[in-house]
Amino acid sequence: MASDKELNDFLKSVDKRAFKRVVYAVRDEDAALDIVQDTMIRLAEKYADRPAAELPLLFQRILSNATMDWFRRQKVRNAVVKNFSDFESAGSDGEFDILETLEALGGSPATESSADAVSRAQILLAVEEAVAALPGRQREAFLLRYWEELDVAETAAAMGCSEGSVKTHCSRAVQALSTALRTKGISP
Amino acid sequence: MTESNAQALSGSPSWSSRDAQQSRFALRVTARLSERTQDLGVDVTERLRFAREQALERARAARTAQAPAVVGRTRSGVAMLGWAGSGWWIKLASVLPVVALAGGLLLIQRWQDKTQISVAAEVDAALLADDLPPNAYSDAGFAEFLKASGE
Repeated sequence: MASDKELNDFLKSVDKRAFKRVVYAVRDEDAALDIVQDTMIRLAEKYADRPAAELPLLFQRILSNATMDWFRRQKVRNAVVKNFSDFESAGSDGEFDILETLEALGGSPATESSADAVSRAQILLAVEEAVAALPGRQREAFLLRYWEELDVAETAAAMGCSEGSVKTHCSRAVQALSTALRTKGISP
Repeated sequence: MTESNAQALSGSPSWSSRDAQQSRFALRVTARLSERTQDLGVDVTERLRFAREQALERARAARTAQAPAVVGRTRSGVAMLGWAGSGWWIKLASVLPVVALAGGLLLIQRWQDKTQISVAAEVDAALLADDLPPNAYSDAGFAEFLKASGE
């Protein structure tokens, strides 16, 4: 059984990443916070008696379900159809300078000037936008596999699909990210 | 299929090296994403902290509800010892007093019936054993005699 400290440490270790993942999916910070809070409470209420080692997979599963529930509610309420292509143009604003980006890649944080800091922030933003622009299933597989560091089987269990699908989604996600970042002249 | 065969078929580096490249790229991307999470606003981090606290409270409540013996507290602040273990024993314990009460009432009724029968038998025996025949009590003249002698 996970103790209070183990549960708190676990939630602390995943809450920010979970929030960002949900933001990429629902594009609404308030809704994302509600979903993450709901997930934490569901985990605590129903699975507080489980060992700490089982918490990551349970949490990801509940988070995915809670996000799906949000989309179902939204669909009923607003008949919203997700269109990922809406977000593709977000990173192509005129302020982005590839020369600054390349300079920033070579600099260390200790010697970072304000211009470097700005360009570094722009790279982070561009990477984040590229991830947000991925199709939903690809993004979910990619983030569960490489950000949450689940293995292929665990990712498949969390997503409710086969291991082969996970590998395919991850591979396509990496290709799409690589292409998107290369066109912007960014090496992550 | 050997690695060299796979390489020959795909005409590109082996699957394992492709996987390794893919993983390296993915980890660089996720490292950037992790960096980005450090820039979350205070309102978001506070809200996440609040969510964690809420979850921990619920976890404590869930654990307390599952514990075998619990100490509850009424609204007036009186502490009570509850038993949240096997429901079977609780049902049996609540039925036993009712069974005992019903058995007691049955015994009292039997005892009363027995007493009434024995009293009636004593009266009958006294009447039959007396010198005076029982028919005399139904005679109006004898009843008048008894009344007069009583006055």
